[in-house]
Amino acid sequence: MQGPLIDTLARQGISRRTFLKYCATLASMMALPPAAGRAMAEAMAAARRPSVIWLPFQECTGCTESITRSHAPSLEGMIFDLISLDYQETLMAAAGHQAEEARLNAMKENKGKYLLIVDGSIPLGIDGAYSCIGGRSNVDILKEAAEGCAAIVAMGSCASYGGIPKANPNPTGAVSVSDIIKDKPIVNIPGCPPIPAVMTGVLAHYLSFGTLPELDDKGRPKAFYGETIHDRCYRRPFYDQGKFAKTFDDAGARQGWCLFELGCKGPVTHNACATTKWNGGTSWPVESGHGCLGCSEPDFWDAGGFYKALSMPADPLKFVAAASVAGAAAGVAVSVANRGKKSAAKSAHEPTTLTDLEKSS
Amino acid sequence: MSLDAIPIRIVDLPSGGGDRSAGLTGNARPLLHELSASVQRLLDTGDTTTIDLSALPLTPADLDWLRDKLGEGEIAMTLQAGGESTLSETACPGIWWVTHRNAQGVETSQFIEVAFVPELARAHPEDVAIGRESLEHLISDLE
Repeated sequence: MQGPLIDTLARQGISRRTFLKYCATLASMMALPPAAGRAMAEAMAAARRPSVIWLPFQECTGCTESITRSHAPSLEGMIFDLISLDYQETLMAAAGHQAEEARLNAMKENKGKYLLIVDGSIPLGIDGAYSCIGGRSNVDILKEAAEGCAAIVAMGSCASYGGIPKANPNPTGAVSVSDIIKDKPIVNIPGCPPIPAVMTGVLAHYLSFGTLPELDDKGRPKAFYGETIHDRCYRRPFYDQGKFAKTFDDAGARQGWCLFELGCKGPVTHNACATTKWNGGTSWPVESGHGCLGCSEPDFWDAGGFYKALSMPADPLKFVAAASVAGAAAGVAVSVANRGKKSAAKSAHEPTTLTDLEKSS
Repeated sequence: MSLDAIPIRIVDLPSGGGDRSAGLTGNARPLLHELSASVQRLLDTGDTTTIDLSALPLTPADLDWLRDKLGEGEIAMTLQAGGESTLSETACPGIWWVTHRNAQGVETSQFIEVAFVPELARAHPEDVAIGRESLEHLISDLE
């Protein structure tokens, strides 16, 4: 444990005004009243660093990448000075038995007080053997670490809802943290990957007020997931006017029209991309011309095709089943015909339409 | 290639026809009454008020309208702290327009502060004490 945070920051050349400004912006982003920014600054300046243990399970390390690339030297990085990150496989210098020992020590010394961050889903198939660390299954390690923790942060869609490992047919029997742990407060921060500022916002809230922020029915902080992408999308006026891009390169697309018909999942996706944006506020998927994939919603991978408009029937598995009943031969014929059309379009430089993309997949 | 070279244009909001009232929702006007009450409270009790502009349903056009109506005062401060912030007095003394930007120059939040001096402009006693300490060091080094 070190001294109050404000001293640590001062040693790094971060002034009190910089910190106050950061807290004001953070409070604004979390839709807290302006006075809360001041309260957060006071509480955090005096806060002592809590122990944090970060467990990676069935994951791609994309969540860690997102958090650590939170645009250095931005102040998001500063939040890491607020915590004592005692175990994080990707970031820690220790390895092997030393690393596992650091985890066990941190758990023992801070029993009942440490914050547990989990990224990745947990496989339950063949007794959890699909993913092991140091010879122990993920589910085992999770249960052990959860027992003494104060709260759990499920980082990313995999830890929150199972994510890509859980995608049909879920070969490893992957489940989310909340499927296993039932007796601890859990906050889900879904997204593939989640927005760095959301993560730091939740940590700041925990440090300032000693509680997790208010959650929605899917366990997500309302401050960031309270509205859909569509609600806050700058292309929304075009949706309201019925102006839709029909292909990715037509006149409408060039005018920045709504991407709904190209499969944008914005209307059913709760996340803060439209307001916080990515890469230090540079842009976000819809601004760069591609519809939202819906990565912060449960089972987004099985939602029926990224290029299928929401108004179209969205159950590809049922569709496949129906086709096989109707006759496998017909299905093959369709796919050959589509492949033909696709290569013809390519040679003639015709625009590939939404239908082509859908059928060729 | 700069981002501006990508031919995506954001056009006016639905009500827009290119005229000056394009994009105005009428949501900015009630704020003037709120500001008036806040200034009165500042005079009566010394209590300050902060309004978070990004938390309100205001379009860019609404914000421009409000900024225009409030006008420019005599003081405009620039704060260099993790990016540039501007704290500008409006034509109505005691009402400050505060804009925060990050190190990349992107606007991160915007507030209207009703106070005699904006909070961030004031030096914190602990910082003043540290400043005096280094001043003492400086003096003793010169001797």
